[in-house]
Amino acid sequence: MFKAFGKVLRNEFSLYVISFFCFLLLWDWVAKEQILGRSLAPPLDVLKELHRLTTVKLAGKDLFGHIWDSTRRVFIGFAIAAVFAVPLGLLMALNRYINALVKPVFDIFKPMPPIAWISIAILWFGIEEASKIFIIVIGAFIPCLLNAYNGVRLIEPELYDVIRMLGGTRRAEIFYVSFPAAFPAIFSGLQISLSIAWTCVLAAELVSSRSGLGWIIIQGMRLTRPDLVIGGMAIIALVAWLTTLLISGLERLICPWKRGIKEGYL
Amino acid sequence: MEIRPQPRVKISCQHISKIFIQKGKMKVHVLEDISLEVYDNEFVVILGPGQSGKTTLLRIIAGLESPTSGRVFLNGEEVQGPGPDRGLVFQSYMLFPWRTVLGNVEMGPRLRGISKEERRKIVAHYLELVGLTGYEKYYPHQLSGGMKQRVGIARAYANNPEVMLLDEPFGQLDAQTRYYMEKETVRIWEQEKRTVIFVTNNIDEAIYLADRIITMEGKLPGRIKAVYPVNLPRPREHTDIAFLKLRQEIIEASKLLL
Repeated sequence: MFKAFGKVLRNEFSLYVISFFCFLLLWDWVAKEQILGRSLAPPLDVLKELHRLTTVKLAGKDLFGHIWDSTRRVFIGFAIAAVFAVPLGLLMALNRYINALVKPVFDIFKPMPPIAWISIAILWFGIEEASKIFIIVIGAFIPCLLNAYNGVRLIEPELYDVIRMLGGTRRAEIFYVSFPAAFPAIFSGLQISLSIAWTCVLAAELVSSRSGLGWIIIQGMRLTRPDLVIGGMAIIALVAWLTTLLISGLERLICPWKRGIKEGYL
Repeated sequence: MEIRPQPRVKISCQHISKIFIQKGKMKVHVLEDISLEVYDNEFVVILGPGQSGKTTLLRIIAGLESPTSGRVFLNGEEVQGPGPDRGLVFQSYMLFPWRTVLGNVEMGPRLRGISKEERRKIVAHYLELVGLTGYEKYYPHQLSGGMKQRVGIARAYANNPEVMLLDEPFGQLDAQTRYYMEKETVRIWEQEKRTVIFVTNNIDEAIYLADRIITMEGKLPGRIKAVYPVNLPRPREHTDIAFLKLRQEIIEASKLLL
C-alpha cells in the first residue's frame, strides 16, 4: 500500500494535480474562514460569477466581448511593434551607420517603463482605442528590437567565414546566416513583448476604459465584488497564456531545428 | 629522351608576416617571414603547439585574413580574399544548425547557382564519399562529433575546391574517433585527390597523414622550424619502426612534448 502511494508521489503529473488541488483547498479555506475579511471570494463563487458573465451583459458586452476587446488591443499593438521593431533591430545589428543613428535615441527610451506613457498617451490620443494601442506598441517595441539586435550581434563570426569560403557575397551572409541564426532570439523577444503587451493593456484599461478585462477588474473593485476582480485576473492569466502558446507554436513551425535541440535536453 | 615533369606548385606563401593590433595599440606579432610551397595533390601537415600562429597562417591562405606583409599565390595568382577554389574545414565544425545535413552540404553549389537536381547529385556523391548516405534529413545537433566533421568535410568538398584547408579538424574528438577519422581522411583523400593543408598539434596525426610535415616554433611570432618529408607507404601503422623513428626525430628536434 505504502509502495503504491510512494509511486504516486514520485509521478510528476500526480504531483501537479496534488499541488493544484492543495492550492484550491487553501484558497477556499482562507475565503470561507474570512481570514482576509470579505475581500476574498472562494473559487467556486469566482467560477459562478464568470459563468454568469457569459450570459449577462456588462456595459453592453458579455465576458467573451470583453476578452475579445482586450485581446484585439494586444494583437494590434503587438503586431505594429513587431512589424517595425524586428526589422529595425536587424538593420541596426547589420549596419553600423543605422546603429549609430538609432541607438542613442533608443537608449533614452529603453529604461522608461511603458506605463509612464499612459498620461501623455491619453493627452495625445484621447481615451479611445488609440491611446491604449500606443502604450502597447511602446511596451512591446523594446524587447522585440533588443532581441532581434542581439540575435544578430551574438552570431559566431566563423559562420560568416563559411559562406565567404564557399563563394557567398555579403547578401548571402545576411540571408543564409544572419536571419536564420537570429530567429530563435527574435521569437524569445516576441514572447517577452507579448507578455509586456498584456501588462500594458491591463494598465491602460485600468486607467480609462469602457470595456476589456482590466475594466472588469475595476468594475469589480468599484462594486466591491471580489469574485468579479479575481475572475478578471484569472481570465487574463488564461488568455495571456493561450496567446503565448500561439507564438511558441509559430516558432516550432519556423525553427524545426530548435525544437529538436530543446527536446534533446529534456 | 623523356623529360620528367617538375611537380606543379599549387600554393606559394612568400615572406608572410602578420601583426594583429588589439584594442587600438597592443600589437601581437603572430607570424614572421613564413615562406612555403605546396605542390599539386600534396598532403602537407603544419604541426605546432597552441599559440604558434598555425591557424592564422591557414586563415591567411584561405583569404579570411590578409597578411601584414608578404603574399600568397594560388596557381600563380595572388590570393585577394576568400573564394570557392579553397575549401575550409573548421575545428568547431561550424555547421549551420538550422540546415539539415543536405542543406549544409549543398550550400556551396547553391551559392554558385547550381540547379536543384544537380545539387542533389553532388550532395549524394559527397555524402557517400564521407560515409553519411542516409543522413540527409538529420540536423547537426542529432549527429555525433565525428559525423559533424564528416558533414564539414563533405560541405567543403561539394564545392569542388582545388585546395582543402583543414584547421585542427579532429581536435574536439575522442581518441578512438580521432584515429578512425584519420584513417577516413586518407581514404577520402586517395579517392578524391586534392592539395591538402592540414593544421594540427598532434604529432601522430601529422606522421600518419602527411606527405610532408612543416613544424612551427613553439612561441610567437610563429616561424617555420623544420620540414620533414614522410616517405612511408600508406596505410601507415603507428607502431611501425620507421614511424616511431620519425616521431622521435621530430620530438627531439622540436624539444616539445607534442
